[in-house]
Amino acid sequence: MAQLDGDCKGYFLMGENPAVGSANTRLQRLGMANLDWLVVRDFSLIESATWWKDGPEIETGELRTEDIGTEVFFFPAAAHTEKSGSFTNTNRWVQWHHQAVEPEGDARSDLWFMYHLGRRIKEELAGSTDPMDRPVLDLVWDYPVDGELDEPAADAVLAEISGHGPGGDPLSAYTELKDDGSTRCGCWIYCGVYADGVNQAARKKPEWEQDWVAAEWAWAWPANRRILYNRASAAPDGTPWSERKKYVWWDPGQGRWTGRDVPDFVPDRAPDFEPDEDATGPDALRGDDPFIMQADGKGWLYTPAGLEDGPLPTHYEPQDSPFPNALHPSTPRNPVRHLMPREGNRYHPSGDEKGAEVFPYVVTTHRLTEHFTAGGMSRWSEYLSELQPEFFCEVSPALARERGLENGGWATIVTARNAVEARVLVTDRIRPLRVEGRAVHQIGLPFHWGPNGVARGDAANELMAIALDPNAHIQEDKALTADIRAGRRPRGPDLPKLVAEYRSRAGITPDTGTEVRK
Amino acid sequence: MSEERVGFFTDTSVCIGCKACEVACKEWNAIPEDGLSLTAMSYDNTQALGASTWRHVAFIEQPRPEGRTELPLAQGESTAQETPVGGDGELRWLMSSDVCKHCTHAACLDVCPTGSLFRTEFGTVVVQEDICNGCGYCVPACPYGVIEQRPHDGRAFKCTMCYDRLGAGREPACAKACPTESIQFGPLDELRERAALRVDQLHEAGVTDARLYGHDPDDGVGGDGAFFLLLDRPEVYGLPPDPVVTTRDLPAMWQHAGTAALSLLGGLAACFALTGRGRR
Ligand code: SF4
Repeated sequence: MAQLDGDCKGYFLMGENPAVGSANTRLQRLGMANLDWLVVRDFSLIESATWWKDGPEIETGELRTEDIGTEVFFFPAAAHTEKSGSFTNTNRWVQWHHQAVEPEGDARSDLWFMYHLGRRIKEELAGSTDPMDRPVLDLVWDYPVDGELDEPAADAVLAEISGHGPGGDPLSAYTELKDDGSTRCGCWIYCGVYADGVNQAARKKPEWEQDWVAAEWAWAWPANRRILYNRASAAPDGTPWSERKKYVWWDPGQGRWTGRDVPDFVPDRAPDFEPDEDATGPDALRGDDPFIMQADGKGWLYTPAGLEDGPLPTHYEPQDSPFPNALHPSTPRNPVRHLMPREGNRYHPSGDEKGAEVFPYVVTTHRLTEHFTAGGMSRWSEYLSELQPEFFCEVSPALARERGLENGGWATIVTARNAVEARVLVTDRIRPLRVEGRAVHQIGLPFHWGPNGVARGDAANELMAIALDPNAHIQEDKALTADIRAGRRPRGPDLPKLVAEYRSRAGITPDTGTEVRK
Repeated sequence: MSEERVGFFTDTSVCIGCKACEVACKEWNAIPEDGLSLTAMSYDNTQALGASTWRHVAFIEQPRPEGRTELPLAQGESTAQETPVGGDGELRWLMSSDVCKHCTHAACLDVCPTGSLFRTEFGTVVVQEDICNGCGYCVPACPYGVIEQRPHDGRAFKCTMCYDRLGAGREPACAKACPTESIQFGPLDELRERAALRVDQLHEAGVTDARLYGHDPDDGVGGDGAFFLLLDRPEVYGLPPDPVVTTRDLPAMWQHAGTAALSLLGGLAACFALTGRGRR
């Protein structure tokens, strides 16, 4: 949005393909067309790198290459097998991988790109007396490089993130960090990943040589702790809730917490500890307050601060929904959702609102095993592409009958944002839902395709509105409404015309779908 | 056979349809891509085994209005139960990774005039691309429709059970890649024992449709080197229910042909003898 408003001037895309993978791909491209510069680093010429010459808006005539001011740079990127580095999974494990082969041709790692870019900028600014350049000039940027390609040592970056003490010794835990400038650390949660000068993330001890917690497989942030708030695995008195599942418990003999994992608690705080009246911070936590990151040590259902909403969920309908909210009739959608109403990002009438019947079906997007997200790593691979070669929509036999769709034929799916065409897969797996007494049909859309690559097709995200959840700002692209009709979509200027027709038929205005309460 | 006979046991009851086997096979054997169009047949865009497809994962969508069987996924914990459902589109999705059967009596090998197809020291059937002359006799000979000539090339190709990997003491690429051990590789005798146990286990858990296919050394092809555990009749998976080696009657046919040829020769000789005598 800041790109469309002209506030954001430059964009680095590293392994990301918003022209396919982000909600409302048309607006994503129009945003990129409004930049001064765009840098794309990827394995192949993904849609986000070529929209300016052969993107959908060039076809519809909405953009003309010669009018686009964005300077686009494309750099071939090295794959994970061609560089060393780490993967961090949703379990918080930092797992190291080692380079297997040198990258081919001009391909370089992201680390190489960032390091040498920084180095060149510093060289460029050397000798400048402009105070604005001071921070860049004073930045320590001295990573060791090796090999013919001058690849910076990823290991050295990890060691820096992990942190060093006054004498330059590696830190082993964030508890060693001082606020007097004597220690340094890239990010406290990773402090200790390079404890003892050893890359802890590179540990690969097999499961049969350690217990089931596998604490010596890679490293988990923070403090190699595998389960957060694990004090809660013991009863308030410090004994395990379950003998069979015991995990962390109080050892009265030693006067310490112990167990299978690194205890997530003040190590020597006894279960019956009661803080002084005037104690503050962590000192104010009782011995049976396991949620140590919360000020009161308790688990919270709703937060007064920090989060916009929750965390205890309630039921809201999606932004575009064929139904009113049965649970909160006056508040169909999350009142604190993040909307961006603007030209090109119009929302649908929902529930019993007038015009909702123009988009009578529910669309859900999903993935396929054969492709990876926006396709940059899979749609250029022949072996994966032949397994799922074309964009398709999955519909039930009943919907196919209702709309005259043929298995293997074409269908056009339309929302207020855009229209896409897809091959039709009629299957009993997709069943109509029975909600509030009526049946509603579903359309399943795998979202991996775009116009480039070996396996090509329209991108499902053309259909999405940008509507974000209030806490993490995740795009809502798993549930929306749409219409479906037999046949291929119109080409050229007829495509935006069709979409505009739908908007006017549904009576969509800038305010549609933007209310907080009914 | 200088080595123990090895084979595949493909247990389709644990196949998740990831197609890792198809990709691993193509990667290892450098097989060309063969088709980029949607078939609209469930998630199966491969369709069949062929010259450039040596593993094929079939996706079969089956309506099960009479109630469906749930597989016990955790070993030893029987959770199978009949869940009554109406005929409202409830279905099960059968996935099965098909491959060359490496028959005990292999017709492709019998008819090959060049010796390109041969039986290896591991008991598998392999076609050698540098010897094949593209005559195509093997294609109709296969009772499973496995081997095929590659268009624009003419030579016949099929699964080699990764002959090169076996020689290096490694398992075939598909078995290596399979994340669920649906594809198991090993000495055939061991696999047969393991498969029998697995069927018993499934039967006990209430999956009464579980059955083996191609495991029996007394069947029409003398048993397959690559056999399967199926959850329905073989026809459902596109497999012939009673495969017979197409060259079964060949020896008898040769005998007949031989007798015929002999009597023909005898007749000719007699003719010559008679005419000769007449001229003299
Ligand atoms: S790799 Fe295994 S699980 Fe995946 S499709 Fe093949 S046989 Fe099935």
